Amino acid sequence: MYTLFIDTHYTKLQLVLFKDGVVFDERVKEDGMHTQYLVSLLEDLLEQNHVTFDDLSGIIVVNGPGSFTGVRIGVVVAKMISYCKHIPLKVISYLQALSLKYNCECMVGIKDRNGVFVGQFNQDHELVGDYFYVSNHDFLKYQDQVIIDEEVNLDMVYDYLKDKKDVHPHFVKPIYVKKIEVDK
Amino acid sequence: MDTYILAIESSCDETSMAVVKNGSEVIALSITTQMDTHAKYGGVVPEIASRMHTEAITLVLEDCLEKAQMKIEDMSAIAVTYAPGLTGSLMVGVEAAKILSLMYHKPLIAVNHLIGHIYANNLENKMEFPLLALIVSGGHTELLVMEDDYQFKRLGETMDDAIGEAYDKVARVIGLPYPGGPNIEKLAQMGEHTYDFPHPVLDDTYHFSYSGLKSAVINLVHNETQRGNRIRKEDLARSFQDVAIDELVRKVEKALKETGIKRLVIAGGVSANQYLKREMKELCEKYEAELLIPRMLYCTDNAAMIGAAAYPKYLKHEFSSYTLNVSSSADIV
Repeated sequence: MYTLFIDTHYTKLQLVLFKDGVVFDERVKEDGMHTQYLVSLLEDLLEQNHVTFDDLSGIIVVNGPGSFTGVRIGVVVAKMISYCKHIPLKVISYLQALSLKYNCECMVGIKDRNGVFVGQFNQDHELVGDYFYVSNHDFLKYQDQVIIDEEVNLDMVYDYLKDKKDVHPHFVKPIYVKKIEVDK
Repeated sequence: MDTYILAIESSCDETSMAVVKNGSEVIALSITTQMDTHAKYGGVVPEIASRMHTEAITLVLEDCLEKAQMKIEDMSAIAVTYAPGLTGSLMVGVEAAKILSLMYHKPLIAVNHLIGHIYANNLENKMEFPLLALIVSGGHTELLVMEDDYQFKRLGETMDDAIGEAYDKVARVIGLPYPGGPNIEKLAQMGEHTYDFPHPVLDDTYHFSYSGLKSAVINLVHNETQRGNRIRKEDLARSFQDVAIDELVRKVEKALKETGIKRLVIAGGVSANQYLKREMKELCEKYEAELLIPRMLYCTDNAAMIGAAAYPKYLKHEFSSYTLNVSSSADIV
C-alpha cells in the first residue's frame, strides 16, 4: 500500500510516495510557488506510478513551522484528501522530523530569512516546552546548543509515525510559532 | 441533464461552499463567518482570515454536502473564487478546489468574485440582456453594461476609494465598530441632512470618486472636535450617506438615459444598503426599468453566487488547469 508525504513548510515543495514503507518516488520543486504546483505535481506523481487516491492507505503532512502560507497549502490539501477519501492522516512538525536523526536529547533549528525556529526534544523525540523563534541576531546565544539542520530522513519519519495515532482532518492546524503584528 | 456545481468562496472573511443546480437553484449553502473575530481588531486581519479558512475548510464541506444530501461524485464541476480578494484567503479555497477536482476528475472553474456578485441575481430571477450592472462593495465601485453572459463593457469606475471603503473609514472616524457600513446606515436613519459635503465628481463622466468625500468628513470631525463643538453622529452619517448614494444615483440615471437599457442589476456588499435600494427603486420606476437586487443572503459573500457565475463557463467548457493562481486584484473588463 502507498503513503503520501506532503511538505510545503518553506520554499521547497516535496511530495513523496512510500510503497510498503519504502520511498518509491518523489517530486521536488524549490521555488516556493506551492499554490501553483502542489496539485499538478501530485497529479504527475500519482499518474506516473499508476497510483490512484484509493490506493493510498496513509497521508503524512508537515504542519510547520515555516512560511505561514506555505504550510497552509500543504495542510489544506492533506486535510481535504484525508477527509474526502477517508485516508488516515498523520501530522509531524519539521523540527520533530529532524530530531529523529539524533538519538539523544537535543535542540534542533531550521532557518528562515530572518531567524531560526527552534524545538527541544527528549530522547523519545517528544517536544519539551514550546517551539520558539529567535532572530538571527539573538541566535548567537543559542548557537552552541542548537543543531541547525535541513534534510529529514524520510525512512525515519515513516517508521516513527507508523504506530502513532491518526488525527481527524477537521482538527489539523498548522503550527505558526511566529507572532503576527496584531498580536504583538 | 442537470448540472450540479460545487462552489467554494474564501476571498475575505467568510468560508462558504454551495451546491448550485443549473446556475440558478441553490441546493445547499453553507457559510461560516469570521466577523466577530475580526471585529476585535477593527477590520479584517488577512493572516487571521487565512488561518480560520484553513481550520474551517473540511467542516464547511461536510456541512454543505450534508445539507445537499449529495456526494462530490454527483457534481458536474468544482468552481472557486480565484480573485479578487485577500491572497492568503483565496489560496485556501483554490487549493481545496484543485484537489477536489483532481480526486474526483471534475473540471475546475475559476470565478471572479465580482462577477459572482452580479450572477447572484440569477439565483432569484434569470438575468436578461442587455443590462446595466452597478457593483458596489468594499473594494469596487463600477458601472458596467452587459450585452450577454460574460460580455462586459465598462462605463465607469472609481478613480480612488470604493464606496464601501469610504463607509468603513467614516465609521472608524466617528468610532463605530466594524463592520462600518451597516452601522453608518443604521445611524443615518436617525439623522438629518445637516452638513453639506461636496459632491465628488460633478462632471459628465461615469467616473466615481470617494476619497474626497471621505476626507471632507474626516476634516469636519477633526475641526469641530478642535473647536470643542459636539457633532451629532446621526446627522453626520446621514449627510455622508446622502452624498455617497446620490453619486451612484446620478451616474446610473445618466446611463439609463444614454443607453436606453431597461434593466439594472446591483451587486456587491453595499447593495444590502436599504437607502440605496429605495433610491434605485424610485429611479428605475421613473425610467420604467426593471431593478434586480439579490436578497440579503446573496448580497454578502457566499458560494452560491460563485456556483451561479460558474455555470455559463461550464456550458462553454471554460475550465482551468491546476496551475491556476490567485490574484488580489482582477478586472472584470
